[in-house]
Amino acid sequence: MKTLSLFSAEGRMMYWSLRRYMFNTVAMVAVLFLIFMGMFWGVKTIGGSGVTGESLDSMLVGYILWVSAMLALGNTGGEILTESQRGTLEQLYLSPLGAHRIFFFRALVNILFNFIIMTIMLYLSMAATGRWLSVNLLYLYGMVFLSTLSLVGISFMMGGLGLIHKKISSINGILSFGLIGLMLLPTYPLTPYAFLPFIAGAAAVRNSIVQGASFPIWWYLFIAGNSIFYVALGLAVFKRMETKAKRLNKMNQY
Amino acid sequence: MPQNCIQVRNLIKTYADLTAVNRISFDVRSGEILGILGPNGSGKTTTLKSILGLIEFDEGSIEVNGLPIKKQRSEILKNVGAVLEGARNIYWHLTPMENLTYFAGIRGIPKKNISERAKYLLESLELSDVANKEIRQFSSGMKQKCALACAFIHNPSILLLDEPTLGLDVEITRTIMDWLVNVVEKEGKTILITSHNMDFVETICERILIIRKGEIISHETVKSLKEKFARKHFILDLKTEPHQAFLEAISSLGTVSAHGSSLRIELETVNYLIPLMKAVGETQTDMLDFRSVENDLEDIFLEVIKEKTE
Repeated sequence: MKTLSLFSAEGRMMYWSLRRYMFNTVAMVAVLFLIFMGMFWGVKTIGGSGVTGESLDSMLVGYILWVSAMLALGNTGGEILTESQRGTLEQLYLSPLGAHRIFFFRALVNILFNFIIMTIMLYLSMAATGRWLSVNLLYLYGMVFLSTLSLVGISFMMGGLGLIHKKISSINGILSFGLIGLMLLPTYPLTPYAFLPFIAGAAAVRNSIVQGASFPIWWYLFIAGNSIFYVALGLAVFKRMETKAKRLNKMNQY
Repeated sequence: MPQNCIQVRNLIKTYADLTAVNRISFDVRSGEILGILGPNGSGKTTTLKSILGLIEFDEGSIEVNGLPIKKQRSEILKNVGAVLEGARNIYWHLTPMENLTYFAGIRGIPKKNISERAKYLLESLELSDVANKEIRQFSSGMKQKCALACAFIHNPSILLLDEPTLGLDVEITRTIMDWLVNVVEKEGKTILITSHNMDFVETICERILIIRKGEIISHETVKSLKEKFARKHFILDLKTEPHQAFLEAISSLGTVSAHGSSLRIELETVNYLIPLMKAVGETQTDMLDFRSVENDLEDIFLEVIKEKTE
């Protein structure tokens, strides 16, 4: 019951904030779309006839996944920074449910919101490029949810660092762009890269949408296990940093 | 005998080579308003945040409602509310009602359970008319009242307030003061408050702690503190500014400070009243009014700080 109240409080907060800052949300989607179109036409122009339809499809799906990953990755760190700047961070720490739960549910709400952004981006991009993919949205949402959870874990680690060091946007930038390269690495069947966060899930989504590939159940369980591991690790690091921030009285200093 | 609902024992908190709080011990009784006074950097906020578990203290113990903060913080927080950064503690892009709903939600209280409480808080703090307007449009006083309402939404028995009237005008300060006194008297709440506003503290607090450099230098009721530091202060209103001969004649009787044609005199002993009057006559000073005044809390605070510094 309490968890449900917390989840709906975060849902409401997201809705109120979106309503107040609607322009910003629309602008974000527009910028992401323009970046994709720039990349798409750039690759098509430079690559010429060497660029196959499959690689363009792969790029489209990859970009959508990367946007989702980027939004999930910057979530908790960004939220802590914003709350700290506002002066509301300590109020969140006065919740008997714990600030880590608040930020976790906020991250979940954000992932769900990102589905809307992802869907808009996907259909806008398909319409603009003329490359219509057969997308099972339920599979896409499920897999993206499962794999971006691991990035929520990483985001918690960043949030922990944010509690102590406040400004961590440069690390966020490096991780976000690093992900582009990492997403191209082979993961199936079980390479060492598959143990990195998000990558195995992203590859599974890309291959199933673009090539129609299917995977055994153990692979999905592995992806789920990977996410659970990173969420647990992220929360552990976050709690440790939280204790350190309390010892140094850095909780609300910005 | 009222129960202690906050018990602080030998609290120590250091940051690198700075001792912010040094072996502080005190109790807050159920149903009282305890004030903490002290100069900037004296350790007031560190003490408050330690009680809330927002700062990890080095040594000592803190119990709230009989529960240790280090082990049962979550349980304690169910019954505690706080305003720490004044009006910055709430979301300015939301309305008061949205803030109340959100802060209840993150405490696990569903929206349907808070409507009566939210209505009562908004009404009692005169915010009903603006309940659905964005807070960023409000004055500092209204924002502060919203922060108070949010800290009270879960109906806590204990409220911790850090400088609740900082930067507010007299009228709003009075409203907040009355509201706090009311919740203590009618709802039996307990309040621990830090403030620089001496009138505010003097009016609403029964007992006060004075902290300096992380140590408690006074812990008494306002009444006993005033009695202890009772001084004979007199105000002498003259027709014109005092002339030199008069000032010289009374300089040995005590401390004299002149503000235009008004003199504030603190006599070393009341026996000096006769020489004072004699000096008025001998120097042919035209006196309009003469009255004795009590030391206010600000004088006492400065005196306690000065006494402990010497």
